[in-house]
Amino acid sequence: MTPYISIGGYSDPPRIPHLSFEVNRGELVALVGGPGSGKSNLMKCLAGIRKSVRDSIRILGSVPGSMRSRERSIFVFQNFNYAPDIFVRTQLEQRISLIRGVPSREVKDDVHNWCERMKLLDVCMNYPGKLNLSQLQLFSLAPVFLTSPSVVILDEPLRNVSVSHIDSALSLILPARENAAVLALVQKLSPLLEKADRIVTV
Amino acid sequence: MSGRMFFYYKSSILLLLRTRWMGPYLLLPPMLAFMVYAEAYLSAQGVTGIFNLQQRTVLAIWNASLLLTLIAGIKSCLFFSRLWGSFWFRNSLSLPVSRSSGFWGPLLAALSVATVMYLLTTGAVIAALPEIGRFPWVQVLAELYVPVIWAVSAGALLGLITSGTAGSLFFVALMLLGFLTGMPSLYPSSGWLQVVVPPVGRIMTLSLVFPSGLIQAVLLLVHSVIVLTLGRFLYSVGIKRK
Repeated sequence: MTPYISIGGYSDPPRIPHLSFEVNRGELVALVGGPGSGKSNLMKCLAGIRKSVRDSIRILGSVPGSMRSRERSIFVFQNFNYAPDIFVRTQLEQRISLIRGVPSREVKDDVHNWCERMKLLDVCMNYPGKLNLSQLQLFSLAPVFLTSPSVVILDEPLRNVSVSHIDSALSLILPARENAAVLALVQKLSPLLEKADRIVTV
Repeated sequence: MSGRMFFYYKSSILLLLRTRWMGPYLLLPPMLAFMVYAEAYLSAQGVTGIFNLQQRTVLAIWNASLLLTLIAGIKSCLFFSRLWGSFWFRNSLSLPVSRSSGFWGPLLAALSVATVMYLLTTGAVIAALPEIGRFPWVQVLAELYVPVIWAVSAGALLGLITSGTAGSLFFVALMLLGFLTGMPSLYPSSGWLQVVVPPVGRIMTLSLVFPSGLIQAVLLLVHSVIVLTLGRFLYSVGIKRK
């Protein structure tokens, strides 16, 4: 079976001389590294927005950045995924409709119910700058829960989450591994490490 | 499929509709309408009675186009530089969207806004005139729309290669050069200068002269296409290098 995420001989000198591992469906793999260890650069390479030194990465069997690798994948970046000048809810609806391939009006109810369940209904019609970092991180994680991705790649997903929101954030991430390969790039002491099936260190 | 093509267009429209981007545009119609009223009033008083109605109409549309070109160019430089340099834009490339629409979507959005403002502005100007002079107004309106296309195209290229402020300054300098060389006494003497310098001024002074006005419009369109082609090329290089 082709691994959902395959990294074979990736290097980002001098921080990462060599990195090889695979993530299969149903797995949550945590890639652990300190600040400045090259995790975010790897994230960009996985998303296909940065060239890797060697052409060594495959997402769902395809080159990162290709439409096939992005169609059923969710990438959650450390610096969030939201434009500063558009309402968060509008952007979330746009994203969900894009990933599901349906018009925005068809996802409005799901987004509304999700906001209500997460107690974010009163802040969702604000610009991202009006939300605190923890709320913004939950909105960034929302597509993981509201779509059925095959690949989920997260960069420091719990870093900005407040203690009171940790369980909510985990409840968005963990169910995804039933049908997807989940790769979380985290630092030591991240609560996700306890939940990971495997830990890879850089 | 359409969502993938229009994601950036829709997002850019939402961004451009914010007051920060629309404010200067919205000042245009009332400002120009006031100028036309003032000019008509002074003309009736014999103060500026040198223009006949046709000349005044063309001059009014010329004013509208010139001011709109200036604002559209500056705003485009600032908008594109900010958009394409943002974390949001870079991160959004990981969504299942057409990556080439990341260039064309915002460009079409900026052009759509500028076009609506052009129609509103020229509409306001024509409405403010006591009566429309007998002249080929469709031809003039079409030819004087080309500088707006050029301004947005140049803004896209400059927004890609430099900061918003530097791009705006360069755009203003380029437009000023193009404007000054439209003055009959300052027409570029050599052939290659006539081709290289954007004919922003010439398109206005020659807009009623056939076929010179049309030739200048086509030349400015060619400038726009070259600038856009270069911009598209640099965009594709840029998103692969990030």
